[in-house]
Amino acid sequence: MAGIELQGLVKRYGATQVVHGIDLTVADGEFVVFVGPSGCGKSTTLRMIAGLEDIDGGEISIGGKVVNRLEPKDRNIAMVFQNYAIYPHMSVAENIGFGLHTAKLDKAEKRKRVEQVAGILGLEPLLERRPSALSGGQRQRVAIGRAMVRDPTVFLFDEPLSNLDAQLRAQMRLEIKRLHQRLGTTIVFVTHDQVEAMTLADRIVVMRDGRILQVGAPMELYEKPADVFTARFIGSPTMNVLPGRVVTEAGIATLALGEKPVALPTTVGTVPADVLVGVRPQQLRVLAGDEPADLVLTGSVAVIEPLGSETFVHVEFGGGLILASAPAKSPPAVGAAVRLGAPVAALTLFDAASERAL
Amino acid sequence: MSLSIDNQRSGGRFWGGLSLRRKQVVWAWAFLAVPILFYALIRFYPTVEAFYLSTTNWNLFSKPGFVGLANFERLWADVVFWQVFRNTVLYLAIGTPVSLALAFTIAYHLDRVRFLHGFIRALYFLPFLTTAAAMAWVWRWFYQPVPIGMINDLLSSFGLPQQPFLRSTSQALPSVLAPAIWAGLGFQVVIFLAGLRAIPNTYYEAARIDGVSNLTILRRITIPLLKPTIIFLVVFSSIGFLRIFDQVYNMTSGDPGGPLNATKPLVLMIYQTAFSSFEMGYAAAQTVVLFLVLLAVSFLQLRLLRDR
Ligand SMILES: Nc1ncnc2c1ncn2[C@@H]1O[C@H](COP(=O)(O)OP(=O)(O)OP(=O)(O)O)[C@@H](O)[C@H]1O
Ligand SMILES: [Mg+2]
Repeated sequence: MAGIELQGLVKRYGATQVVHGIDLTVADGEFVVFVGPSGCGKSTTLRMIAGLEDIDGGEISIGGKVVNRLEPKDRNIAMVFQNYAIYPHMSVAENIGFGLHTAKLDKAEKRKRVEQVAGILGLEPLLERRPSALSGGQRQRVAIGRAMVRDPTVFLFDEPLSNLDAQLRAQMRLEIKRLHQRLGTTIVFVTHDQVEAMTLADRIVVMRDGRILQVGAPMELYEKPADVFTARFIGSPTMNVLPGRVVTEAGIATLALGEKPVALPTTVGTVPADVLVGVRPQQLRVLAGDEPADLVLTGSVAVIEPLGSETFVHVEFGGGLILASAPAKSPPAVGAAVRLGAPVAALTLFDAASERAL
Repeated sequence: MSLSIDNQRSGGRFWGGLSLRRKQVVWAWAFLAVPILFYALIRFYPTVEAFYLSTTNWNLFSKPGFVGLANFERLWADVVFWQVFRNTVLYLAIGTPVSLALAFTIAYHLDRVRFLHGFIRALYFLPFLTTAAAMAWVWRWFYQPVPIGMINDLLSSFGLPQQPFLRSTSQALPSVLAPAIWAGLGFQVVIFLAGLRAIPNTYYEAARIDGVSNLTILRRITIPLLKPTIIFLVVFSSIGFLRIFDQVYNMTSGDPGGPLNATKPLVLMIYQTAFSSFEMGYAAAQTVVLFLVLLAVSFLQLRLLRDR
């Protein structure tokens, strides 16, 4: 069991710097998910923690010990790779047992460990099979088993679910979460799928271009995104972001957007004139008749997406499309003029220049 | 293209009536027909002819007369044949493992070298492109006594005794084998390199995290995953060493086959029987033996090395 601490972590490939001084503390037993778009440096950071990549600056400690120069094997970590890295010429038992190759255990004890791990993962009936005779999900479990068998203090996962289909992914997600609850081992998990991040993480680390944008619990990121990028990245469907103007008169700020000006709560503080207004589709509802709301937008319906429990409506507004929700049973018709409304509490304001939240 | 147009015009109904799969099969056979015909004519026919000739006493000048298995009986009783047979087996038994071990060692290390990688690989590959005759002459020159021969020069500068190399009955065969191995090395290195490259890097990374030693990685991961490459190279180089000819012929050209036939392989014996003695029937019997040996060795290797 061990926590991880990153301080000013830097990675360069030749002249290009791909990780720009990352600071992060992962508590013992915490499940941390790195999320961000492709090429933002998630894998690179994870591989530096694993010891597979050299560090060009900063410090990594695991369990309070600086490991900058330690070989991967001396860091007491285990890693699960996207392509599983299970050996095609070995049986499932041999694959799982390979992690024990250097352990000072006799054959029977090793076998016992392997069977124990296989038991947890439901792989017992498959122990003598070759990987080629396994399904994708079973292979994934073998890869996890290989990591588990050595009883590491930290698990590192690099997009372990991205080769699986949607249904299996949801199932494996659940299994990994239960495994974490059962083992209580520190986990660092990399993904570019925000749903995975939201469902798995104790804390999410949002990365972009080799920098950390925001760290926080899933709901914290969802409700208080630090900037436009995080706001749009976290949550599905994506948050609507609209440009607006704020007028401040006698200490009272009003937002000029939509049908009528919106009075902003006094807690907002000083507000620049140009802002971006974020509102999640779930909170921007199609209004019935002339029902009042804090923010009211009008437009005509372009596309309707029924999802069963609710229906999303794409509405033409200000030269683009915005997404709103409508009751599942009585959605508006395509082409109809609609009024969309959201309470002022559901609005997130960003500085238009810096894109940071206000 | 013209074939399909013709087909559509003349046999339009026939062609149109075929299923897509059938059409593909017809096309495949159309393309295969030419090489198959060529092979039948250039390869299989002479092979069958050789089997027939091996039962005759044809000598180029007279009509072949049927003699049954007399050629094979003569071969069985021929001391030179057994010497030659032993040589051939030695070429195979030393050449294949030594060349593969060398090629693998080179490829394994070259795979880790980024600096001048292509250049070094080209250096190893170059002998494979050079004509055997030219190379053999260079090696002959290496093997000369002092002051001409480089190797003996080197030996004497260290105060070691001179070696006869090609002139000795015991050293001649290894001396001929060395350039043969060297010549084939580049090819094997390149094939091994390709095999090594095909192994995903994450296999090694996973092993590094598990903390297994380099030797274990080599034994438990690299070599098992290289098995298809190894099988190919074992069979391919075995066939090469069983059919060794030009190295021997050029290295010992004054006295083809070396002192007391010490280096003579089967193919050279066949060549001499056929084109010096003109005993075509007898030579054909020897080719049949060579063919059977090749077949047996390749078959055995494939059986032994294939996945159990
Ligand atoms: N060996 C390398 N040489 C040069 N640049 C590299 C190398 N490996 C990665 N990079 C660069 O580093 C950046 C970060 O790569 P990384 O693999 O960490 O991205 P990622 O966040 O894991 O993306 P993905 O979600 O696509 O896996 C990328 O811009 C990539 O081009
Ligand atoms: Mg990645």
